[in-house]
Amino acid sequence: MRGNDDAILACRNVAVRYGDVTALDDVSIAFPRGMIHAVVGQNGAGKTTFARVVSGLVRPDQGAVEIGGKLIAGGNVNDARRAGVELVHQSFALPPSFTVAEAMQFGAAGGALYTRAALERRWQAHLDALDVKVSAGARIRTLTVEQQQAVEIARALVTDARLLILDEPTAVLSPEGAKKLFERVRRLKERGVTVLLILHKIREVLAIADTVSVLRGGRLIDGPLPASDIDADALASLIIGPSAKMLAGEDRAALTGAAAPRGAETETGPIAGPPVVSLRGVSTRPDADGPALQAVDFVVQPGEIVGIAGVEGNGQRTLVRAISSLADIAEGSLELAGRDVTNATLSQRRAAGLRVIPFERNVEGLSLTSPLWENWSAGQLLARPLLAAISPSALRRECKSALDAWDVRYAEVGQPAGSLSGGNAQKVILSREMDESGKLIIAAQPTRGLDIGATAFVWDALRKARDGGCGVIFVSSDLDEVFDLADRVVVMLSGRIVAEFRPPFDLTRVGAAMTGARA
Amino acid sequence: MEDVVIAILRSGTPLVYVTLAGVIAQRAGVWHLGLEGLMITGACATIVGIVLTGSVVFALLVAVLICIAGSVLFWFVVEKLKANQIIAGLGLTGLGLGGTSLAIQSIFGSQAAISAPFGLPRLGAAFGAYGVLSVLVLVMPVVVFLCWVLLCRTRFGLRLAASGEHPFAARSVGVDPSAMRLAALVIGGALCALAGAELAAGSLQIFSQNMTAGRGFMGFAAVIFGAGHPLWATLAALFFAVVGALGIRAQLVFGDRVPHDLLLGLPYIATIFGVWLSARLRGGAKSATGGFGELRDS
Repeated sequence: MRGNDDAILACRNVAVRYGDVTALDDVSIAFPRGMIHAVVGQNGAGKTTFARVVSGLVRPDQGAVEIGGKLIAGGNVNDARRAGVELVHQSFALPPSFTVAEAMQFGAAGGALYTRAALERRWQAHLDALDVKVSAGARIRTLTVEQQQAVEIARALVTDARLLILDEPTAVLSPEGAKKLFERVRRLKERGVTVLLILHKIREVLAIADTVSVLRGGRLIDGPLPASDIDADALASLIIGPSAKMLAGEDRAALTGAAAPRGAETETGPIAGPPVVSLRGVSTRPDADGPALQAVDFVVQPGEIVGIAGVEGNGQRTLVRAISSLADIAEGSLELAGRDVTNATLSQRRAAGLRVIPFERNVEGLSLTSPLWENWSAGQLLARPLLAAISPSALRRECKSALDAWDVRYAEVGQPAGSLSGGNAQKVILSREMDESGKLIIAAQPTRGLDIGATAFVWDALRKARDGGCGVIFVSSDLDEVFDLADRVVVMLSGRIVAEFRPPFDLTRVGAAMTGARA
Repeated sequence: MEDVVIAILRSGTPLVYVTLAGVIAQRAGVWHLGLEGLMITGACATIVGIVLTGSVVFALLVAVLICIAGSVLFWFVVEKLKANQIIAGLGLTGLGLGGTSLAIQSIFGSQAAISAPFGLPRLGAAFGAYGVLSVLVLVMPVVVFLCWVLLCRTRFGLRLAASGEHPFAARSVGVDPSAMRLAALVIGGALCALAGAELAAGSLQIFSQNMTAGRGFMGFAAVIFGAGHPLWATLAALFFAVVGALGIRAQLVFGDRVPHDLLLGLPYIATIFGVWLSARLRGGAKSATGGFGELRDS
C-alpha cells in the first residue's frame, strides 16, 4: 500500500496483554484515508481491543499509534478524539436516561450553559443533517437499537471526526438495518470520513469494504488487502486458519457468514409424540426486563431444533424467562412434555425435563467465585429436598467424571468457575444442563463470545441432543448460525411470534419479518 | 402561622443542603451514606471555630475545608482502594460522629454541649419576624438554583450524570468518571459543612454530641424520594421538615393524649413512607451504580 504519510491511521508493533492473555500481538498496519476499511476476525481475534487502542480507551503495552501522521499518546481518549478518531461501540455507550440532545451535548464542545429548547434545536439540526430520523427530545431508552446506533454515530460526528470506527455495528441489526447502515457509511465516505468497520461476516465485508484486514488470535494475518481482489473462500480460510479442517462446509460458511445461508436439509424429521414444550396463548405480566409476551402460541416437538430469530430485545429473553419460571404468566398455559406447568416452580419444571443454557454465561449460568463442582452440582441439588444431606466428596467425583467426559480443560474441580475461559465455562454449563433426563433444552445465545472450536463444540452438542430425541430452543441473533442449526425458525417482534419458516431459509424474507416489513 | 414557617425553614435548611450534597454524589454514581458524618463534622467545626477564633467567616472556612478533606478521604477509599461505597460511607459517618466527640473531649476536656457566644449572622429587623433566621436560609434557594443549573443545564452536569449512569459512556468521550466523582464529593463536602453550620450555629449556637440525629440519612432518603433530581429532592427535604414541624405542633395540641415519642418520630416515619412511595411511583432512584460502576464495560 502507500506510505505512512498518506495513512489516516498507522499502528507500529502494537501489543496488548490482559494478564496472561495476549489480546494483540505485534500488530503493524496502515490504513489509507478516504476509504472504507474492514477489520475481520473471529471472536477473540482482538478486533475490539484493536478498536479500543486506536480510540485511546486501552493503552497498548507496546508500540505506537499515529493518526494522520501524528503520534498520539496511548490510552488517552481526549488525545485520540482531538486527532479526529471516534469509536461507536458494539453495545452502545449512551446513558439510557439521557435525551438524545443530552447524549450529543455531553461529548461535544461549545455552549457551556444551555436551555433545553436551545439544546434540542442545536442537535435536531445535526441529526437532520445526518438524516437520522429521531427526535432530539426523545430519551435514549425509548429508542430501538437501530435508532440508538444512528444516534451513536451522530454523537461520534459531533466533533470533526476524520476516522470513524464502528465496532461490530451489524451485530444488533436486522439484515435490512445493516443495509441502511451501509448506505449511511457510504455517504460518510463521500464526505471525506475514513471508516473502519469491525466485522465478522464475510458477506458484509464484501458488500461494503474497500479493503479488508484479517486478525486471528491477536495477530495481523494479512491486510489491508483490496476487497475486490479476494473472494469469500480465500477470506474464510484467512479468518478461520488451520482449524478450518475440523469444520464441515456448511458450518464453516455459517461461522464466517461467507455464503448466502440456505439451512440444514433435515434427514431426521421431528419425532412423533407429545410436544416437549407447548405454549398456548401465553402473555406475560409486563416487567422491567423486556417486552412482555403477547398471546404466544409455540410448540417444540421432540427431535427438532427450533431457532428463535429476531432483533435483540423483541421478547426472546422473555420467552426464555417465561418457560423457566422467571417471568409471570398472566394468561395462557404452558406444558412441558405433556405436563401443565403454568404455575409450577423452577424445580418442578426441571423435574419435567427443562434444561437451560442461559443468556448470560457469567451471571445467570455460573457463580464465578464458586468452585466448579458446586456450579456443576447445582442442577441436581435443585431436584433434592431442601434439607437433604450433601456429600461433597461424592459430588466432586461425579463432577470430575462429567467434566472429563465433556472435555473441559481445568486443573481441579475446586477451582473457581471464573478462572475458566469462555469456551470451557460454557462446557461446564453444557455438562450440567445436557443430561439424559432432559427433554427440552433452551440454548440462549450459547456461542456468544466463543472462539471457533468452542462454537463448533456447542453446535455439535445441540445436534446430538436433538438426534437423541430432545427438543431444542435455539436463540441467537446471528442468522447464519440459526439457519445452519435450526430445523425450523420462528421470528419474534415486540413480544409476539410473527412468522415461521422452514428450510430452505431465505435471508431476505426472515430479515423482513424481523423488522415487521412483512405482515 | 409565622412561627410554623420559621420552624420549617430552620429545620429544613440544613436538610436541603445535605440533600443537595447527596444528589450530586448520587448522580455521579456514589451512594453517599457518609452525609451524616460530614454534616456533624461541619457542625462541630463551626462551633469550635467560633469559640476558638471568634470569627464566623474563619469558622465556616475551617468547617468547609475539613468536610472537603473528609470527602476526599471517602473518594480515595472508594475509588482508589476500591472499598464498597456503602461500608465506606457508613465508616465516614462513624468517623464523623466519633471524631467530633473525641475532638470536643480533647479540646474542652468534657463531652458536654459546647455553646458559642454568637452564631451565623441573622437576617435582622428588615425581615420582620423572619429576621431571626440565619443568612444561610436566605442563600438556600440560590444554592438550590445553582445546583440545578450545574447538574441539569451544563455539560459538567451531563458528564457527572453519565459517570454515574454509564461510566463506560463517559470514558468513551474522554471523561474520567473517577475524577468526576471526586469533583462531586468535594462540592458535596462543602454543602455538608454548610448543612452542619446552619444546624449548629443557625439558631442554636450549640454543638452537642450526635446532634445531627439522623438528618444526614434523612437527606439521603430525600435524594431517593426525589429521584436524584435537585429540585425534587429539595422538595422532598422540605416535605420532611414540614412533617417534623407538624409533629411539634401536634405535641402542643394533643399534649399527653398521644405518645410524645410517636410525634417526634413522625419525620422518620414520613421518610420511610416517602422512600416507599418513590419506589412505587418510579421504580427506584436515578441509578447510582453502587460499586459496580464498570459492570457495563463489555
